Amino acid sequence: MSSAASGPAGDITSRVQEEVQRAIQRSIKGVEYFASSAPPVGVTPKDVIYARGPMNLYHYRPLTDEIYRIPLLIVMATTNRGYVLDMAPGQSFVEYLLKRGYDVFMLDWNAPKPDEKRLAFEDYVLDFIPTAVKCVQEDTGEKDVNICGYCFGGVLSLLYAATHAGGPLKNLVCFTTPVDFREMKLFQNFSSQKHFDVDHLVDSAGNVPPELIFTSFEMLRPASRAVSQVHLWENIWNDEYVKSYRMFDRWATDTLPLAGEYFRQTTKRLMWENALYNGTMTVGGRKADLARIKAPILHVVAEHDHIIPYGASRPLIEKIGSTDKEEVMLKGGHISVVAGPNAVKRLWPKLDNWLGGRSV
Amino acid sequence: MSEKPIDPMAMFNQMLGQFEQGFNEMATKAMGSEDFSRIMNTMGGASMGAKKTMGDMMERYLATMNLPSRQELTNIGERLQAVEARLNEIIAILHRAHPDVGGLVKPTAAPRPPRTRKPPPAGSKA
Repeated sequence: MSSAASGPAGDITSRVQEEVQRAIQRSIKGVEYFASSAPPVGVTPKDVIYARGPMNLYHYRPLTDEIYRIPLLIVMATTNRGYVLDMAPGQSFVEYLLKRGYDVFMLDWNAPKPDEKRLAFEDYVLDFIPTAVKCVQEDTGEKDVNICGYCFGGVLSLLYAATHAGGPLKNLVCFTTPVDFREMKLFQNFSSQKHFDVDHLVDSAGNVPPELIFTSFEMLRPASRAVSQVHLWENIWNDEYVKSYRMFDRWATDTLPLAGEYFRQTTKRLMWENALYNGTMTVGGRKADLARIKAPILHVVAEHDHIIPYGASRPLIEKIGSTDKEEVMLKGGHISVVAGPNAVKRLWPKLDNWLGGRSV
Repeated sequence: MSEKPIDPMAMFNQMLGQFEQGFNEMATKAMGSEDFSRIMNTMGGASMGAKKTMGDMMERYLATMNLPSRQELTNIGERLQAVEARLNEIIAILHRAHPDVGGLVKPTAAPRPPRTRKPPPAGSKA
């Protein structure tokens, strides 16, 4: 009899018991979910050392007794908030870097105001990033600066590096950065030159609403949100799962509007003309050819990136003028490659190995 | 030889994963067509136009009632933030010019660690 209880029938009984327990927990935790506020994010201690228009420059307080000579400036994507790189203690890329001895700054973005609808690439590449670099230099007393750009922050970092070939950029790190915009097939179709009137959109809306940006991202995987909610319900008894879900969901839905002119340029120059890939990109009359960039570069791409497919990011290493260049493909998606449990094991140590020796 | 017990939750998850992948693939294929682009942009343009018309009407209504619109209140808030930012800049400039004057506290005045760190030797975990 005892052997029967510990056999298949016993397994099923204990599984049913477990599921009943979880069902009860789901009901309790489900109520808690709606009654409680989302977990705090971006809590690593920092100071805002410069703020103007859509730019916010943070300096994170060092966590080690000795830091690397060259400071690191992270340039965030203009579509989302920078706290994806500082989700929670133990799950924060910024905290990891601080503990490894880096002096970390972040250029994060505010939503552009209605009267800032004319902000363009020229403002981001020839004003905001250079201003941030100058602030970092003044704050640290160091001439050299390392830059790390995530997604479109990577594109802006490349444009900055190409238009400021004389320095002071010392090393460049790009995460999931597109170069060949023809390869972003769905975005190409959404913004097809034949059917998408970008001038009408920008002229009537001013800044491009965040809902439009969010919907475009969601449409790339239309079933995934519904499925993730089923998974949430299934795992709602698990506090850690719920905490992580809420942090990432909050970030994903916290999309920023884009300045109208900047969006118009992105659509026409990058999506339609593919100017960065073709080497014809200019910003404020300055040539922004990737071949002009000579700084050492690490480009990290994600194997299952549905937002920036590998075809779009692959040509970066081939086109860039640097001789010290490396591309590394890591398991994960567009977000999980930089944040979350996979990033802790894969990307963060890889970056530390590459950048540590180049930061002295 | 022991048989693996049936786990309905694992089966459900597997089914859900297959549904997600299948649906996303099917949708990606459909959204890659020119017809989809045409319809999406026609609808998007119309929706944007309707949103703007509604916004304009609401603004006129609030103006008639002598009430500020949400946008105007947001603008005032943003202006206040801009004034605060300018004040911070002025304080920073004053601090640089007169570092000894009391009350002008530089936010990042904490002492910094020396910039002498070297990477750990290869193979080391520290």
